[in-house]
Amino acid sequence: MLGLSLALFGAALAAALAGIGSAIGIGVAGGAAAGVMTEDPNKFGSCLILQALPGTQGIYGLLIAFFVLNKLGLLGGAGAVALDWNQGLQILASCLPIAVVGWYSAIWQGKTSAASIQMISKKPEAMGKAIILPAMVETYAVLALLTSILMLMGVQVG
Amino acid sequence: MSYVYAVSRLRGMENHLLDTAFFSRLMDSAGIDDALKALGETSYSQWISGNANFDKAIDSEMFATFEELKSFVPDKELLDILRLPYDFHNVKVLLKGLFKVRGGEAEGRRYDLLSKLGTIDTEELMNAIETEEYGFLPYGLTDLIPACWQLWDQTKNAQAVELLIDHQMFKAMLKVAEDLKMPDVIRWVQNKIDAENLRSAVRLARMKYDSAKAISFFHEGGTIRPDDMAKLLNEPQETWARLLSYTDIGSVLGALQDQNDINAALTEVTKAIDEYLMKVLENAKYSMDAPANVLLYLLNKEAEARNMRVALVCVAGGLDREFGRRLLSNGR
Repeated sequence: MLGLSLALFGAALAAALAGIGSAIGIGVAGGAAAGVMTEDPNKFGSCLILQALPGTQGIYGLLIAFFVLNKLGLLGGAGAVALDWNQGLQILASCLPIAVVGWYSAIWQGKTSAASIQMISKKPEAMGKAIILPAMVETYAVLALLTSILMLMGVQVG
Repeated sequence: MSYVYAVSRLRGMENHLLDTAFFSRLMDSAGIDDALKALGETSYSQWISGNANFDKAIDSEMFATFEELKSFVPDKELLDILRLPYDFHNVKVLLKGLFKVRGGEAEGRRYDLLSKLGTIDTEELMNAIETEEYGFLPYGLTDLIPACWQLWDQTKNAQAVELLIDHQMFKAMLKVAEDLKMPDVIRWVQNKIDAENLRSAVRLARMKYDSAKAISFFHEGGTIRPDDMAKLLNEPQETWARLLSYTDIGSVLGALQDQNDINAALTEVTKAIDEYLMKVLENAKYSMDAPANVLLYLLNKEAEARNMRVALVCVAGGLDREFGRRLLSNGR
């Protein structure tokens, strides 16, 4: 049972930390978007795209949590597979890249998005560049997601 | 509300600031009616319609700006740093009026010169000074006003009283900045004190003032000590830039080096100082949540109001437009 608990703890961390990071990031970008739209409501579309960018880490965390639950046999009603503590720890470790990187990168992506929102407030024609800057932060969240997926695929259970 | 919101909103508001090209066009207006028509597309139009007194309209625009910023800037004290000079201006106006009244000039009071841009309501300030109940006044005014009266009774020197008020104003500005614990803002206030001291030094040099007596004209709290400022008066003006090269404000003195005539230099230095005080805050432009952006916006707005006043005075008075153009600051 300890193995299952460790694995579930890993899934919870992936979903929760990445989700918290996304919430903070979207909040920061949303503050900037509200400020810009107070002066120019026509910028809603551009602001929304930039505000949504830090939300992806939360989705990545959820994806890994589903991946773990599926691996544990908790989805579909077939019943949980038997895990020893070592296997449980391996799954927990596999969840850490997206949990930690997702958390931090979402916050920093939110800050970069906020700066980009301020940029399009002055130069609306620079929307393309404004998206690329926060998207650079996204790279590391994607790398962490891949790492978590590859690690999870390497864990033998059942 | 957060500074991310505030700075983002200011970025939007910056788009509505009028640039020097607009003022240049305003200067080309055939007359005041044409100029007021050109203002129709700007935020000034709401105050100027049916109001020929454009000075009041400019003040109304500045007042509305302060009020708008007060509604979303997290630290209202940040605005107070730029509103304090108006409070101290009002104190000067009221005290000078009372000095005249006590001197037998029944019409000495000049309430029309009071500015509503300060943090203290003008009516309250007026009542406090007239009734000598200073207890509730902030920024050290409780002790300052009796000290001004004492100085006036002893010397009858209005300039000395003004100087005493200015010393307290800069002390209060620095105190507000230090209480905010914002390093950029504290540095700006210190630079502002240096700038004001430098302006005084140029004026005193023009009057060939003795450096030993000049020290009282310089304010404490800047990065350059008052006695170092006073020493400048013993040196030729073209060497000032070298003498102050170790300071941030030394760069402003390039304007002095290029001018042999110190009267012309005063105009150039004044303009260079205003631009320098904005430059000090320029790094804030690269931060999405630096509180100094609030000061930067307000300085730009003040530069806009100043340019507006110069342009309208030039057009209304039929003054030399080229001279007016030289007076425009490059706020934006």
